[in-house]
Amino acid sequence: MNIRDLIQRIKNSFTHHEDYPNEAVLGFLRVLEKLREEEASCSEVYTQIDEYVEREVDKKDAAQLMPLIREHLDMCPDCCEEYEALLDVLEKTGQD
Amino acid sequence: MPTRTNEAWITDLASPGPAREIALEELRAVIQKGLPYALSRWLSPDEPQFNSLVEEVTQETLLRVLDQLNTFEGRSQFTTWVHKIAVRIALTELRRKRWRDSSLDELTENEDVPPPPGLLADLQAGPETSAERADMLARVRRIIDEELTERQRQALILLGVQDMPMEDAARKLKTNRNALYKLLHDARLRLKRRLSIEDITPNEVLTLFEQK
Repeated sequence: MNIRDLIQRIKNSFTHHEDYPNEAVLGFLRVLEKLREEEASCSEVYTQIDEYVEREVDKKDAAQLMPLIREHLDMCPDCCEEYEALLDVLEKTGQD
Repeated sequence: MPTRTNEAWITDLASPGPAREIALEELRAVIQKGLPYALSRWLSPDEPQFNSLVEEVTQETLLRVLDQLNTFEGRSQFTTWVHKIAVRIALTELRRKRWRDSSLDELTENEDVPPPPGLLADLQAGPETSAERADMLARVRRIIDEELTERQRQALILLGVQDMPMEDAARKLKTNRNALYKLLHDARLRLKRRLSIEDITPNEVLTLFEQK
């Protein structure tokens, strides 16, 4: 443990927070199950999501070719909603 | 509808003149063809705000496309890139509205609302399981308290407890969506490492809550 972490832990031990309902704690844990060390940021995903969705529509196994994007989509509900909406557009308009 | 190459879109949109005006009209049609599908999980075309939202999003998308034209890298069809921009604009607006509405609902809802499923399971559990769950939750809460910085805690509360959209939470914390995601990712990594040190796996806790 580094000094910064130690100071943080001591500081936090003086305060107790009751802000997390049980469901929220379980929600955090569900996300932790899928967590990886390395991950793309929201803006990296935004930059590449059009390419990712086109690959998916073309059945080119986008998740395998761009695994960091897939992992981010599993972790980030906002990016995932945008991905699903873009996928709907491309699939339903027959574009690509 | 005529189809253009990516290069033709860029060339026509790059400078003012009749070619740009024609391209903008075509692009408007492309956006408006796609938007109902993008919105289909959120809003039915029968709802009164549908048409005005489509119009606002189309206008804003066209402005943003012109503004960001030089950032198009050709990774996809130009029109897919444009749809991506329209989706971001539309969903940002809809999330904000959803969150505003749900906050209002919380203020006005009565106390007879049933507890969430996880808590229902707890009411049905035997005393031993119930005590074990309470003990485990207390351990996890202590770990959260000890491990996270104040800012990481604020982010978790805004997103995980209050369900605030990322864009709004980022604004509230005076940061951007990207930095907020990084803050959250670091917080989650810290929690995961600490849980591992304490020999707790997320799956173990979740399983405990799935038992009757």
